[in-house]
Amino acid sequence: MKRVVIIGAGTGGIILANALSKKLKAEMKGGRLEIVVFDGSESHVYQPGNIDIAFRGADPKIFRRPITQLLSREVRLFKRPVSRIELDNRAVIYDSGLKMDYDYLVVATGSVAAPETIPGLAEASLNFHRSQEDARRVWEALSTFRRGRIVVLTALPHKCPPSPVEAVFLIDELMRKKGIRDEVEIAYATPYTRAYPAHGIADVVEPEMEKRGITTYTLFNIDYVDPSTKKIYSLEREELAYDLLIAIPPHRGAEVVINSGIGGEEGWIPTDKRTLKIRGLDDAYAIGDATDIPISKSGVVAHLEAITTAESIASQIHGMGKVYLYNGRINCPLEMGGRRAVFVSGTYTRQPERQNPSIAKYLMKRLFNRLYWTMLSGALEPIFNIYLGPPYDVNEGAEGVEEVSRDRPV
Amino acid sequence: MRHVVDARGSFCPGPITELIKTYRKAQPGDEIELLATDPAAKSDVAAWAAKSKNEVVEVKEEQGYIRIVIRVTPKGG
Ligand SMILES: Cc1cc2nc3c(=O)[nH]c(=O)nc-3n(C[C@H](O)[C@H](O)[C@H](O)COP(=O)(O)OP(=O)(O)OC[C@H]3O[C@@H](n4cnc5c(N)ncnc54)[C@H](O)[C@@H]3O)c2cc1C
Repeated sequence: MKRVVIIGAGTGGIILANALSKKLKAEMKGGRLEIVVFDGSESHVYQPGNIDIAFRGADPKIFRRPITQLLSREVRLFKRPVSRIELDNRAVIYDSGLKMDYDYLVVATGSVAAPETIPGLAEASLNFHRSQEDARRVWEALSTFRRGRIVVLTALPHKCPPSPVEAVFLIDELMRKKGIRDEVEIAYATPYTRAYPAHGIADVVEPEMEKRGITTYTLFNIDYVDPSTKKIYSLEREELAYDLLIAIPPHRGAEVVINSGIGGEEGWIPTDKRTLKIRGLDDAYAIGDATDIPISKSGVVAHLEAITTAESIASQIHGMGKVYLYNGRINCPLEMGGRRAVFVSGTYTRQPERQNPSIAKYLMKRLFNRLYWTMLSGALEPIFNIYLGPPYDVNEGAEGVEEVSRDRPV
Repeated sequence: MRHVVDARGSFCPGPITELIKTYRKAQPGDEIELLATDPAAKSDVAAWAAKSKNEVVEVKEEQGYIRIVIRVTPKGG
């Protein structure tokens, strides 16, 4: 019997497991294949909900569901974390020493916010990226904030590129609603040259920030924070004072990736951006936030990479020899407050373009929050396919991938 | 040490993210070779290098992408 092991039941892992079990129903029924998913958490969290928890006081419970309810019944869920990945032995280790072999592996272990990697940051700041509890603490701090300077600070790399700017706009909206906007200064510090990395989107965001009296500090790369004086220092030797610091901390890959010696110190798995295979391997893939692909770490990407990988693995199992190549499609909503939003859309070959914020796009974002759980089951794929087309190109047997070596001595 | 950073195909969050990720762990004297298809890469990297006082040693238009080489100076120097 063949076995596909998926590590991580997040956005990417769940979509992949459900898509694969649909494609390979016959093999599974006939006892020729099993799909195993590992995840130590009880629930899957819809992380975009952290925005509503942190800036609108929403109830965290709305945005999480037990993993067992989200996976197709044919998939075997092991409710425990993998402790080591042995790519050379084609095996994963769990429960302090138990070993499970695989024929195909997909690592979908996501990324985590790691404020502790910057001196002083964990102590000095709140964030809405690490967990629902963290997001809740942001809401509590904003609810009691009366006057002074709120700094929203971005460090790299992090998931969901729009989230810092959304935070800034929603804090502005909240302070206006509370009638204390005149007492509160809002500053946004970013390592980029503009308020948003994609210039087409920066063109829309920057005038809106200016209109609302939000000060932007560009090219600000955090070095450390001194919580005793409430000052942030940058690598460029600038300093910025705060009363309340809301950070988007630098992110890292999962512990297990780092401990297995796969993704360097920061745990980003070396992955081919088109085939989604772990570099140099034919039987192991990485999808979603876990990879080192230079693309936005977002649920949309995890989703589309899962769909692409499901096709590739099914083709390998069926012996079809087709290679599915992800086209780099992204499509992330960016909320601008006042019930308006834009979508940051593009591919590996098409950059995000300037567009006007609208209520329709905001409503689409809200609708998507509701449809998310249905989407995980795969029920919406036929609709996505009709409107957007597949997120991949197909190569009949060829690899079609360029490799670029990473660090090498001069 | 020369670090090759292949940010081709990245527009959001774009080449600067990859550059800064590598810069944070690079040592003074290292070179970072950045490959990018984002047309904003040239001006973004120039602005970043000027502010962070790193040196742009080469900017070259290749077929379909740009190659930018940066020499890392002592941080905060
Ligand atoms: C505030 C915020 C707003 C966002 N907004 C958007 C948005 O509007 N649009 C969008 O597309 N994306 C958005 N995102 C990003 C999106 O949530 C993530 O990019 C997405 O969840 C990534 O999916 P993933 O499957 O790679 O990882 P995750 O969904 O994070 O799942 C990883 C899973 O791996 C598991 N895992 C880790 N280690 C192990 C181990 N050792 N063994 C077994 N399992 C393990 C974890 O428990 C987890 O369940 C947002 C994120 C945040 C924080």
